[in-house]
Amino acid sequence: MINSDFQALITTLEMAALTTIILLIIGTPLAWYLAKMTSRCKVIIEAIVALPLVLPPTVLGFYLLIAFSPEYLPGKLWQQVTGQQLAFSFSAIVMGSVLYSLPFVVQPLQKAFEQLGDSLLEAGALLGAGPIDRFFSIVLPLTKASFITAASLGFAHTVGEFGVILMIGGNIPGETRVLSIALFDHVEAFDYARAHLLAISLLIGSMLLLAAIYWLNLPKRNPSVSANQLRIHE
Amino acid sequence: MKMSDNTLKKVSADECSQLNIDISINYQQFELTINLAMPLKGITGIFGHSASGKSTLLRAIAGLEKKLFGDITLGETNLVNSEQGNYLKPEARHIGLVFQNSRLFEHLSVLGNLEYAVKRCKHNKLVLNEVIKLTELSSLLEHRIHQLSGGQQQRVALARAILAEPKLLLLDEPLSALDQHSKTKLLKMMLNIQKQLNLPMLYVSHSLDELQQVCDTLLVLSQGRVVNFGSIHHVIHQLNNFGEDPLIHQQTSLSLPIKKFNNGHGLTVLSLNAQQDIYLTSDKAFEHQTQLRCFILASDISISLTEPINSSIVNHLFGSIKQISYIKSNVLLTINCASQEFFVTISAFSQQKLSLTSRQQVYLQFKASAVRTFIH
Repeated sequence: MINSDFQALITTLEMAALTTIILLIIGTPLAWYLAKMTSRCKVIIEAIVALPLVLPPTVLGFYLLIAFSPEYLPGKLWQQVTGQQLAFSFSAIVMGSVLYSLPFVVQPLQKAFEQLGDSLLEAGALLGAGPIDRFFSIVLPLTKASFITAASLGFAHTVGEFGVILMIGGNIPGETRVLSIALFDHVEAFDYARAHLLAISLLIGSMLLLAAIYWLNLPKRNPSVSANQLRIHE
Repeated sequence: MKMSDNTLKKVSADECSQLNIDISINYQQFELTINLAMPLKGITGIFGHSASGKSTLLRAIAGLEKKLFGDITLGETNLVNSEQGNYLKPEARHIGLVFQNSRLFEHLSVLGNLEYAVKRCKHNKLVLNEVIKLTELSSLLEHRIHQLSGGQQQRVALARAILAEPKLLLLDEPLSALDQHSKTKLLKMMLNIQKQLNLPMLYVSHSLDELQQVCDTLLVLSQGRVVNFGSIHHVIHQLNNFGEDPLIHQQTSLSLPIKKFNNGHGLTVLSLNAQQDIYLTSDKAFEHQTQLRCFILASDISISLTEPINSSIVNHLFGSIKQISYIKSNVLLTINCASQEFFVTISAFSQQKLSLTSRQQVYLQFKASAVRTFIH
């Protein structure tokens, strides 16, 4: 019996880890683009990115469920390419999580990039560093704390996801049955002892993760603070 | 030492002997239009008020100003040609820029900042240790950036820019945030580096005193346009006629050979011409120089109609009035002493009393301490 909870834990960690990696890969350029953008479309894109913060997860889940079903284009394409149904699969809950946790990764990164400004990048360019070089040698080291924050928030928020997964993932052990769903199951089955165990583990785990983020963001440890001071000089 | 001298010399080949600029930049509140062929030799000063376009011009040359029309060519290399859609990225231009606010990388040590440039430099003709010695950074290499004073930060920025081995070095008011002591130190360093490496520099400043000491040619910008361009003393003298301006101190700007360092009474003698000398207070910095740059503020010189023999004032020169111009309640006199022009301001009251006229013979007098040098 405990075995099934352990399996849910593994599924949860796999989902959250994969989601975080994907979010960093697509969230970083998106955040960069938004930080440097001056056109009026910026507010529209920012609103879309922030939407999961205010929308009930079930709304997002409902539209995703429709999109992922074989009758509609995304689901149909997926089935043609992979031969498997997208809805109620591990891939579906990862995709759902990416959309659901997007603002938690994009917003801290965007803020960090905005604070960093262009001055150091210009200095880097004049020393012969190209754009990719500048990103890895200047931007990344100076916004490291924000990257850790973004990754941790994205990870933690994905672990705590419930509504979207319930809509598009269902409850398939080893595939889409994650901790929050397992907890819901135990409560429905009046197995409060196991529900308590899961609930307290999630609570403590999330608490520790958040404490770690805030510790990392203490002013003296955050290099982006010095980047901030630099901007004041200008 | 001999070896190192050879390694240091001529990083920038003489190939980039000219900078051709023909650009216009339009912002809502500001317009810059410049058409200029600038021979790159020594240090060229760029002077102007804030918002005169000095920094924008440097940014355009460096490739940081993207919204420009026209053409910039450095030596044989076309940097921008907006008609053909050519735009060389800043990282490919081999132009260095030292900013007003050093812009050092806080996540790296002093040495880390220097190595950042070395790693990305294609030629590596310069020896890191030599540049560290030139900029006197040996004792600071392991320091973090936030531990450095403003002057030290600018020295690191200067060293870092040099280590990228640019063909042209741009300096955007690098001294404006520094105290006087750091200013003179860095100015001397810049002069030394310019000579050692034969690296042409464009030096933006709103301090004529600084520019007077280090530049060979001077470009004056006002409201986005070229007002004057030419040899340093000539341009500074032309600025005397600009009227009242908080940045312009009317002055006589000179480069004179040193005739005698310390005449035994703490004065150094400069030779103005075959007949006349100028005395100034000695400084040990003059000792090994043959030529000295100095300036005398127009307000520090007075006029006498007879030779002031019985005076403690050591400098008196004989000349004839070339021009008299009235600027508000002051009178600016241009006086020829042999072939050298001197500029003197006197009050309208004195002018009335002496009733000076053009071509009149007069004596100029000024104290040894009125002959100023910026670098001590």
